[in-house]
Amino acid sequence: MVAIANAHNDLIHDAVLDYYGKRLATCSSDKTIKIFEVEGETHKEVATLEGHDGPVWRVDWAHPKFGTILASCSYDGKVLIWKEENGRWSQIACHAVHSASVNSVQWAPHEYGALLLAASSDGKVSVVEFKENGTLTPIIIDAHNIGVNSASWAPATLQENKPTKSPEESRRFVTGGADNLVKIWKYNNESQTYLLEDTLQGHSDWVRDVAWSPSVLLRSYIASVSQDKTCIIWTQENNDSSWKKTELQKERFPDVLWRASWSLSGNILALSGGDNKVTLWKENLEGNWEPAGEVEQ
Amino acid sequence: MDAKSGYIGKGPSNSPTFGKSLSLKVDGGFNAVSINPSGRDVVLASRNGLYIIDLDDPFSPPRWLQHITPWQVADVQWSPHPAKPYWVVSTSNQKALIWNLARTSSDAIDHVLHGHSRAITDINFNPENPDILATCSVDTYVHAWDMRSPHRPFYTTSAWRSGASQVKWNYKDSNILASAHSNDIYIWDLRMGSTPLHKLVGHDSSVNSIDFNRFKSSEIMSSSNDGTVKFWDISKGSDNCTSTVSTDFPIWRGRYLPFGNGFCIMPQEGGGNAVYLSTLKEQENLNESNKLTKLQPIYSFKGHSERVIDFLWRSRQPSDLMVNDCEFQLVTWSKDCDLRLWPITDNIYDSVDYDRTKRLDEKLPNYEYQTYNKEPPISTDQQRNRYKRIKETFVTKSGLKTSNVNHLTWLSGVRMNEPDSPEDFFKARKLQNLGEEVSAIGHKFPKVVFEKISVSTRELVITLNGPWSETNPDTYIFLRIIINFPMRYPLKGNPPNFIIEETKELTVKKRQDIRTRLKDIAKPYTDAGLYCLEPCLRYLLGEDVSIEDLEGEEEPLLNFEIADHIDFDNLSSLGSSEVDSELLDNSSSESELDAYKDTFDEYGDKTKNFGRNLALDTTPVPNECGSVWTASGQLLCFFPAQSKQEQKEQNILKLVEKDSQSNARRPKSYKCKVLDELSGSSNTVRPKRYVDTLALNENYVASSEDDSEYDSSSIGSYDSFADDWDDIMRNNIVGRNKIPALHGNFVRPFGSAPTASIKTGDSSRKGKNVIVTKDFSYLIPDKLELALGYQFIYANPEETAKHNSLVAEEYGYEDISHCWQILSDLLMNQSDDNPFNQIWESHPMGLQWFIKEAFRYFEKQNNLQMLAMLSCILSSLQVENEHEFEILDSGHYETVVNFRAADMSGLSGSDIHSYSSTGRTPTPMPLDSILPHSRFESSNDNSSMNTDYSRTSDQTTGNYSLSKGRSPKSFSRRATPQLTDEPANKLPTIKVELIQDELLETIKKHQIFQISNKDKRKASAYIHQYAKLLFQWGLSLERAKILKVGANFVSSFDGGIRHGKSNSDSSSTSGGVQIKWVANNSDAIFAAHTCTYCNLKVTRNVFVCGSCQHVLHTKCAKLWWKIGDECPTGCGCHCPDRFMCNMNK
Repeated sequence: MVAIANAHNDLIHDAVLDYYGKRLATCSSDKTIKIFEVEGETHKEVATLEGHDGPVWRVDWAHPKFGTILASCSYDGKVLIWKEENGRWSQIACHAVHSASVNSVQWAPHEYGALLLAASSDGKVSVVEFKENGTLTPIIIDAHNIGVNSASWAPATLQENKPTKSPEESRRFVTGGADNLVKIWKYNNESQTYLLEDTLQGHSDWVRDVAWSPSVLLRSYIASVSQDKTCIIWTQENNDSSWKKTELQKERFPDVLWRASWSLSGNILALSGGDNKVTLWKENLEGNWEPAGEVEQ
Repeated sequence: MDAKSGYIGKGPSNSPTFGKSLSLKVDGGFNAVSINPSGRDVVLASRNGLYIIDLDDPFSPPRWLQHITPWQVADVQWSPHPAKPYWVVSTSNQKALIWNLARTSSDAIDHVLHGHSRAITDINFNPENPDILATCSVDTYVHAWDMRSPHRPFYTTSAWRSGASQVKWNYKDSNILASAHSNDIYIWDLRMGSTPLHKLVGHDSSVNSIDFNRFKSSEIMSSSNDGTVKFWDISKGSDNCTSTVSTDFPIWRGRYLPFGNGFCIMPQEGGGNAVYLSTLKEQENLNESNKLTKLQPIYSFKGHSERVIDFLWRSRQPSDLMVNDCEFQLVTWSKDCDLRLWPITDNIYDSVDYDRTKRLDEKLPNYEYQTYNKEPPISTDQQRNRYKRIKETFVTKSGLKTSNVNHLTWLSGVRMNEPDSPEDFFKARKLQNLGEEVSAIGHKFPKVVFEKISVSTRELVITLNGPWSETNPDTYIFLRIIINFPMRYPLKGNPPNFIIEETKELTVKKRQDIRTRLKDIAKPYTDAGLYCLEPCLRYLLGEDVSIEDLEGEEEPLLNFEIADHIDFDNLSSLGSSEVDSELLDNSSSESELDAYKDTFDEYGDKTKNFGRNLALDTTPVPNECGSVWTASGQLLCFFPAQSKQEQKEQNILKLVEKDSQSNARRPKSYKCKVLDELSGSSNTVRPKRYVDTLALNENYVASSEDDSEYDSSSIGSYDSFADDWDDIMRNNIVGRNKIPALHGNFVRPFGSAPTASIKTGDSSRKGKNVIVTKDFSYLIPDKLELALGYQFIYANPEETAKHNSLVAEEYGYEDISHCWQILSDLLMNQSDDNPFNQIWESHPMGLQWFIKEAFRYFEKQNNLQMLAMLSCILSSLQVENEHEFEILDSGHYETVVNFRAADMSGLSGSDIHSYSSTGRTPTPMPLDSILPHSRFESSNDNSSMNTDYSRTSDQTTGNYSLSKGRSPKSFSRRATPQLTDEPANKLPTIKVELIQDELLETIKKHQIFQISNKDKRKASAYIHQYAKLLFQWGLSLERAKILKVGANFVSSFDGGIRHGKSNSDSSSTSGGVQIKWVANNSDAIFAAHTCTYCNLKVTRNVFVCGSCQHVLHTKCAKLWWKIGDECPTGCGCHCPDRFMCNMNK
């Protein structure tokens, strides 16, 4: 078990392992990002990335086919892209279209290319494509009036071959915002942007995090956690029917929920919240969710 | 035009805006303005393009013809001719653009006039010939252009020494034009070459504006920076001015009135930013000696706050075109971004001797009363030409999008007054019309979404969330409401009509109730002549609306700013759900606000708020802990190090418990309540927004100084209940910070009651954090060790199953092991040529049944690994069958090609030839019905029987060519995976044998081992997903193998779906995903390639076929795909069919 103590001088907000599980990136209120190399039980800090002017909320690794690339977002309203070459880290791009804190970043499934999704408190989400020739073309969408707290891509799906439909049209993502709503967005080729596909209502307070399960097995799963101390699992059959709402558990959690994370094939959901506890959840054969474990510090 | 799409004018006489004052705020730095001769539309031009505004429907947002240039637009002119009502010409530095508004906005430029070498300053249409216009430029030239040959001017002249500021045609004689150059005016005749007819000299400073008299062809007026207007008559022999009017400001524009005998001038600077109207009567009466008069305006149009850029006359045609009964309205455009319409009163007409009853000799031109504000429908003809046009230098973008012009913002910029309105038009005022009401409402209720605003058709569609659930009053229901306003709204007896769309959450009864109540609210308001939208919306959002006090209700509508500031919580429907925290919030909000104001003022820390309005910053409180899964089933968690504060919190809880046991004074239930509140309070105190925590943290430090005095004073204020707690608090001082939260009358929230211990606790908390990984792989059904042990395809599936069963058993996964065991047994049975098999097949315990059940089970378990492995078995069952055919029927086994692992990604096209040389006759047979050996006589596993798959011959011809295009026939390989960091003993020698399903022969009367297409798709999706997982585990070899199986498998259904189409080959794309053989060096591939068409190196603008990986220049690709439909390398890939979308990009 790896344990890294006091890596940052302030609260840590995100920690992500890269694709192969060899590198760990953490970000913190101390405005820095740290990179660790993890090898079995041991770890070694290899870099500290400084460049943000505010607390760094989230980091995300790009797929290795694009190189060793990390995206980070911060309270300063910027998304920075970092790249490692020959052991040296440098900032290669700055995406600063948002006028308020950027609360989440996520790279799209690598099949779509180097596509980054950012959600901001200015009420917008942006999708930026980093093209071969170095240009960016951000698509900016007004998603949630008061602020977007989180956004998450749908996994790349194998769908029926309809010759009329372009591959881009199956791109979807989900956003959760301060208007207590969860919204599903889908790419529309005609208008060259993402259009609202569905609005999911169920929370009675800010939606803090949304996570689209990476599993493409039977149905799509989205987990949304909220300030109202509940977690809702939204499911959709065959990617085209309406979304079904399941509350993870009937009673409320003891404190606000902050974060939801699906395991790689979507089996287990990990939730963390204001009580500084991580709870694990698993769907049983009857389709109900039951606790599968707990982590306390 | 679509009747539903918007307002259609009924004709000029019914214009809703004519004769009224109107003010339109149009932001965007527009510098030039012009008007449609019919008076319906106004065009504004700026560096970003043109806005077309329909003056009859000012509430609808403008049409935007985008054209981004770095140069300010000097002039824009709408063609004054009825023949070309859609032409607008604008300047773009040294060029002039002719826009055709009848075309789509993305493609609206008809001509580009390029003849000047420097910026164009003025454009003027010839008043007689619609195709002719004149331009003049800083380069001193004046050009006249004929649109029938727009490549170069047909007439050119120059004053040589100074740039031209204006050019104007004579209204009567279309061969005469005048241009202003510096202080002088030149009169030219087209027939006289470039010798001026006249040179009018007299101004002391540069001439800004010239204008011919409409009615007397020889008269011309000029306005200059020297503050004078001069009137000239070129018919008189002398080149001296006939009269001069002096003002005390430099004059920017001066023109004759289009009616009567007068003129209008406007200042360049000063002059009260007004437009002055004066009569010419006095000038005519001047004698030779006294030519100079002061300006004596008979009317001045005052109201702009900055200088007026230009003025125009909007005319309304009379019904009888033979009577000179045009009405006029002045349009001004100012630098204060305000477009204004000014009504002209009858006494103005009178004072300039405008005779509105005069019969005309000639009919007035009849202009079609039509707006170009709406995007025209795209005709097919235009679409065809689109590609060519876009290649021109001026790339324009599509017109109006809602994102470009916010409709609400636009609405809020529209102000309209009746001419007799008592309100001061330019001051703060009451609502004047529906448009203003909607825009006020829109700003006030940010949570109400306006789907459609159509002021002119009096229709509004809004969506909102209201507490209308029958079952649960806490949940909010999404409502969509259509509101129709009568024309005379809000006058008495004209209440709006509300239609609430049905939703399943809303019961019919409730819907009826809401409608009735809305009517009740709307009626008294409209009866009093008041606007009723606000109270109705308030009601819909769940507030109590009283209809008694109407006067009081109206007031707040005007307080935009206040509403904006508080809208998030107080006015919106979905406020804080936690009622119990309300008290606290109210009491603490003031101090909190002060707190962060102080904080930021004091420290002047700009980096902390990045210049944002903190009151509106909705960044949520950051998470302090979290967990993220890793690929191998580890959970990566991070926590703040647990602080002393929290430990003590727990102490106090224990203390309370102890206390309650020892102290029998209080009933137990009461105790529990206290405890509940206690724990509840710690949650409600947690701020929601990040900025609030910033304030709290600062508070900690700031108030720690006055610790002691705070203690005594605050304790003194506790009530008796608090006294009971004193003993507890003496035991543990930290407990105090809980108390305020309990009472709610305490001014400061939880965080602001500091003690030494909290302070240290806080600072230590700040510094400490920990990241741990916990192994939860036991929860995840996908196992790395199994992946290493499993075989994908053996020579026969039963061996594979048997092997895998042993592997699973070795690691102790009993259920999985059993599953494999049963599968193996069933498969073994199959291989015996047992006549009873057929009976067993239909038996519930048969293979089909088992596989189906196994899939169902593992799907429920989300066991991707098993699903993918089972899919492999299914796939190999098919493949094996085909394999056996080949041996049996043809003996073509020698054509099987052996590949090394490294070659796998190259789906080589060469063996196609070897294959076709086998010379088999193509046999009709659909690929989806894979024919097994007789041993596999079976029914469909998914209960849909194979009768669906009737094999008709028309399907199959297509399929045959389809399979021809595909890659290697069969594939067999023997390899030992080299995985250095894994124990070698887990790695058995793997023999992969893969034979593709090509050229199958029909075998008589065999039943089919049938898998439905849906299942195949699913299975291949499993395989694909599992491959991803393998890649993340670092097992790229296994991944490659299973993808190969998957690809094989997919192709069989791919063909099935697209039967009859010869365009597709293998399966490298399926819907949204392009299954590529992703190599880690894919970047290198991009860089290294040369174009397969022209053989030159490619750097950018590449077309890469994701299927065959061949690269083309986009140019070459376009050339090539016109001729052929196969890849130019001859690899047999039909790239364009597959990558249509890439081409379009």
